[in-house]
Amino acid sequence: MTDTQWPRYEVFKQDKPNKPHEAIGTVHATDDELALQNARDVHVRRPDCHSLWVASETKILKRTAQQIEQNPTQQDAEPQTGYSQTDQLETYQIFCKKTLRRTMVAAVHVGTVDASTPQHALEIARGSTDLVADPNKIYVWWVVPDRDIIRSEDENIASLFEPAIGKTYKQQSRYGLIQPEAQT
Amino acid sequence: MQNNAQQTETENLIEFEARIERGDKIEPGDWMPDEYRRQLIRMISQHAHSEVVGMLPEGEWLTHAPSLQRKLVLMAKVQDEAGHGQYLYHAAESLGVDRKELLDALLEGKAKYSSIFNYPSLTWADVAWIGWLVDGAAIKNQTMLTKASYGPYSRAMVRICAEETFHFKQGKQMIYQYVQGTPKQQAMVQESFDRWWWPTLMMFGPPDSESPNSAQLTKWGVKSKTNDELRQEFIDETVTEVLALGLTVPDPDLRYDEASEHWITGPINWDEFWAVVKGNGPMNKERLAAKQDAHDDGQWVREAMVAYAEKQKAFA
Repeated sequence: MTDTQWPRYEVFKQDKPNKPHEAIGTVHATDDELALQNARDVHVRRPDCHSLWVASETKILKRTAQQIEQNPTQQDAEPQTGYSQTDQLETYQIFCKKTLRRTMVAAVHVGTVDASTPQHALEIARGSTDLVADPNKIYVWWVVPDRDIIRSEDENIASLFEPAIGKTYKQQSRYGLIQPEAQT
Repeated sequence: MQNNAQQTETENLIEFEARIERGDKIEPGDWMPDEYRRQLIRMISQHAHSEVVGMLPEGEWLTHAPSLQRKLVLMAKVQDEAGHGQYLYHAAESLGVDRKELLDALLEGKAKYSSIFNYPSLTWADVAWIGWLVDGAAIKNQTMLTKASYGPYSRAMVRICAEETFHFKQGKQMIYQYVQGTPKQQAMVQESFDRWWWPTLMMFGPPDSESPNSAQLTKWGVKSKTNDELRQEFIDETVTEVLALGLTVPDPDLRYDEASEHWITGPINWDEFWAVVKGNGPMNKERLAAKQDAHDDGQWVREAMVAYAEKQKAFA
């Protein structure tokens, strides 16, 4: 890492407690704590946000449907989980892109899978209807070891996200419709 | 073997263009022609540079805002521009280019940014007109780009447009307030408009006949309207409203054409546009110097952050 080359983290934002986390973009940061802070500063200048997750992009296995079709068992460019294959299972978080139409998010959290490697987790997710109704209609899969996800803490919700809610002067709705007839 | 590779390349191109035709997005990791990737990196990174350089003409007024409320609003706007720059730099990076490469290109004068930010912000009314005119023009362009075929760029555009509307409205609200204010305020508004009107029209880029990248960008679903189309939409909306406020437009040839229902402007000074684009505008050197200073002045901070992170890892 140099002063002009920082690691990149994917940012996942949960708007409300009953909604899934959504991948909304990336930030650069020198460490995990700063990644969360930068994610808040870049991506949560306005409501709503209940929870933020960040994960180093080096820990995320990403496969498009096209890549899977053309190279089903691709082993190169595996994420650096620092994990060697054993029989031990660990929890992986799974995110999917369900449409190629215009959406606001790159991928949506669909659930968890227990597996021994990221590739194994991907195979389980693709072979099951527990996470998505039709795994053959998924365009992009992301697999992240749960231990590599850095989460905002619930006790910090107020200090992290309340300022965005209170500063209504930056909401365009506060300005209403500005037209000549309205001014007398 | 070579024939098979070529066929796959052709098949990939056919599928790629079919996807765009259907209105489906192209995402990071998908196959794309090298030229598509190259054009998007150029376009998205120059858009990002425009956001961060755009912080400068307004940033100057933060310490001169006439009230605390105006200062808070302006601060929020400038913070948004920084955030928009980040959305766009990251969208460019998803195409396989480093941030350092992009920043070096800006600081070395190799990359462009929107010509409008090479003009000075001389009065407080400039801050208002930058909101109404410059951000208004940006919204026109960016609304079109929300339909762009590359997913990360399209998503960045949607989020930017939502936030940009606040920028547009706060500028407009200021103008409405000042034209109903004192003679001094009204004069300031008119004088500032006279300086920002023509450069804003130039923001939409050269005339269609002189725009070399447009055809390819349209074919691949990045642009869907021409420079001249967007420019004309902006002119029609803005002139009507500005005249209704009792202001004048600094254009003796401006006339309304009943048949086409368009406002027709006089000739745009394209010599000025090209001079500014090539580095000879009023503030080109100052803008780049400010970005270079910010980069140099921030070096110790960046180095400290790296040193801290590496120390934490060593002791983990």
